[in-house]
Amino acid sequence: MTVQRLLVALATLTCFLPPQVLAANVQVKVVDHNGEPLEHAVISLTYSGSAARANNIGQRAIDQIDKEFVPHVLVVEKGASVFFPNKDDIRHHVYSFSKPKEFELPLYKGTPAKPVVFDKTGVVKLGCNIHDWMLGYIYVVDTPYFAVTDDTGGAVVTNLPAGNVIAHLWHPRMKAARDTNAKKITLTPTQTASLDYQIKVRKEFRVRRAPRAGGRKY
Amino acid sequence: MPLHFKSFRTRLLVLFLGLLAVVQVAAFLIVNTATTRSARGQIDAALVTTAESFRELLKERSSSLLVAARLLSGDFAFKKAYSTREHETILSALNNHRHRIGADMMFLVSLDEMVIADTLHPDQHGTPFSFSTLIGAAEENEYGEAATVQLVDGRPVQLVIVPLLTPTPDAWICVGFNIDNRMARGLKEISKSEISFVTHSDSDQWATAASTLSEQAIPDLKAALAQRIWQANASTIFTQSGEHYVSLVVPLEKSADRVLAVLQRSLDLALAPSRQLSLLLAGLFALGISLSAVAAVVIARRVTKPVLTLVEGAHRVKDGDFEQPVLVEQQDELGELANSFNTMMSGLAERDRVRDLLGKVVSMEIAEELLSKDIELGGEEREVTILFSDVRNFTELCENRSPQEVLSILNAYLTRVSNVIESQGGVVDKFIGDAVMSLFGAPLSHADDASRALRTATGMCAALQELNKEFRQQGRPELSIGIGINTAVVVAGNMGSQTRLNYTVIGDGVNLASRLEGLTKYYGVPVVVSRDTRNAAPEFIYRELDLVCVKGKKEPVAIYQPIVCKADEAADTVATIQAYEACLQHYRDLNWDAAIEGFTALALKQPDDYLYQLYLQRLEKFRSNPPPPDWDGVFAFSEK
Repeated sequence: MTVQRLLVALATLTCFLPPQVLAANVQVKVVDHNGEPLEHAVISLTYSGSAARANNIGQRAIDQIDKEFVPHVLVVEKGASVFFPNKDDIRHHVYSFSKPKEFELPLYKGTPAKPVVFDKTGVVKLGCNIHDWMLGYIYVVDTPYFAVTDDTGGAVVTNLPAGNVIAHLWHPRMKAARDTNAKKITLTPTQTASLDYQIKVRKEFRVRRAPRAGGRKY
Repeated sequence: MPLHFKSFRTRLLVLFLGLLAVVQVAAFLIVNTATTRSARGQIDAALVTTAESFRELLKERSSSLLVAARLLSGDFAFKKAYSTREHETILSALNNHRHRIGADMMFLVSLDEMVIADTLHPDQHGTPFSFSTLIGAAEENEYGEAATVQLVDGRPVQLVIVPLLTPTPDAWICVGFNIDNRMARGLKEISKSEISFVTHSDSDQWATAASTLSEQAIPDLKAALAQRIWQANASTIFTQSGEHYVSLVVPLEKSADRVLAVLQRSLDLALAPSRQLSLLLAGLFALGISLSAVAAVVIARRVTKPVLTLVEGAHRVKDGDFEQPVLVEQQDELGELANSFNTMMSGLAERDRVRDLLGKVVSMEIAEELLSKDIELGGEEREVTILFSDVRNFTELCENRSPQEVLSILNAYLTRVSNVIESQGGVVDKFIGDAVMSLFGAPLSHADDASRALRTATGMCAALQELNKEFRQQGRPELSIGIGINTAVVVAGNMGSQTRLNYTVIGDGVNLASRLEGLTKYYGVPVVVSRDTRNAAPEFIYRELDLVCVKGKKEPVAIYQPIVCKADEAADTVATIQAYEACLQHYRDLNWDAAIEGFTALALKQPDDYLYQLYLQRLEKFRSNPPPPDWDGVFAFSEK
């Protein structure tokens, strides 16, 4: 799963961003208040002034595989369309009551014809009406520069133009508000800046999960 | 103060019943204590079990409530309603769900603990939630769930809280169920104990929220709680409307004792079977006491009856009746006692017979003396006055009479004189034919033994006069007696052989007394005493008879006649005696003429007095044949 996410991230970086010569990199390392590596943290970098914008913000997808959202956290640029392909052989009922985008995909199989467009920045929590434990996040940002930490707590944002940027860190369970951890950095060409974060996270309540097909009774 | 029971039967009865009562009462107390303790122990154990299952039940109920709340939190329609952010819609959805699960109240609370909707107070929202500790507990729980019992508007309520997941926690859903009589009744059915839910306010007021107890019992319960005689989770006895309840107070709220459950079981009900046992025991007690009383009376009678018979026997023995044996037919110790008693009685009868016989054979005093000591040969010297009496001319009296008549006369005489001797404390030593030898001073001595002998002599003469009067009437011959009395130191004791002996006195003085008796006939007087006797009894009037030398004795003896006279004649008598003694002196001075003249004068005056005749005859002889000039006046007797 981690490999998959990494691949997706790499694909994102390589396919949709124009290659730049003399680009800078930002390398982040995120741990929780206990010092444990924190997966699913999103680093996003915003340039002051108008940033260069790709024409095709693109179409993205969150799969439902084995009654889980894959990836768990998807970062998209504002205006992106996201498909919700159902890879299971049962129906799902994906919904969000989050302010940036409230929507509902009533029980369906396969991939709905229309994607869902996320035109407001912010956190969209995804759930499934018939599987309480299914939880996913779509983090809508207004910048093409972002990355999601892997299970080592690390992430790298590549091909960054030089300039002054504000780095934001977000995590689904972080206690502090998003803006409180903004960091200003100046990027020079070929530089690889390192950002280390230690953030407090909430304990996540467990949600009782139904037994897997053919598996043990829950 | 110790009790005294005079009767053995009463004592035995009291002892029997007392012992039995002690044993029974002890048994009763032990059984009673044991059953009470056992019942109490059983109730305690049952209450502890009840308390455990009660907590389990509450937990179970909480779980059920949580399930209901959880279903609600997962309800998509509710999530949609919640997402409208419209208070009325949310409240209405809450009420809808509340009715679905039969809850009494529901609250929706934001993550920052502000009330979003409250079915109890529909108008309130945006105010802080009252039970933040419940949320705190939920936050600690891995599923974000918690349950508790809280006072809501002063009433105990079972509250559960779960997060509203959309799909992450977005709010808290709190569901409450009243703790009411219905719940209490349900719990009672399972636990078989009385259950009351009580609340304790800050102002120390106790209130019952729900109870299975009767209305009357509730004020007592509150009073007992207010008195604080209890400790949490420890059983105590409460008295409610006269009934005893073993009670266990179980706090329901963790932090304080604001909400408590009181579990109770009736001790009286549990003790009802042992009360029956107590009644049975009391019955057995009464039965045992009555049987014992009967047994004690029977046993006592078996003992006291022979004892009373023995007592009667002892009384008879005391009164001198040895003839009737005691009749006890038992074979036990009392029977043995009765046998011994009878043996003793026959022994006593035997002794009495011996004593009687001895008393007749010898005198009573000698019999006593013989019986009181070991009988040994030998004696002791003591001064004794010996009195000899003899019937004059008894041999002639016997002629021409049958021996039976002689014996009858003799017995009559001897009986009279013996009585006189004994009445003066004298002892008949022996009867020698018609003669009687009696002692004064042995075996018992008195200060006035000689006087007693003289009084006896006088008494014998008087008794003889009486007897002669009777004899005259019966046509029997009259008797006359002579009495000799001497006082001397003799040997008194048992004399004879080892196998046959007599208590008597031996000595010259005894022989002299016998000789003096023999002289009475010669001098014509009834009584002759020696000088020693005269000196020992000086209160009598005496007349000196003569100075004699008796056979077998070298020393001359002065002999005297005691004179009995009336008091008004005493002076005349004494004068006569003096005149007589003056004549006697002439006689001894060989002054024959003066002596003859004097005696002749006296004989003219008292012609009956033989003594004057005796001396006149003797003077006639001396005048013709005078004694030698150195004559000492002693008249020698060559015969007895």
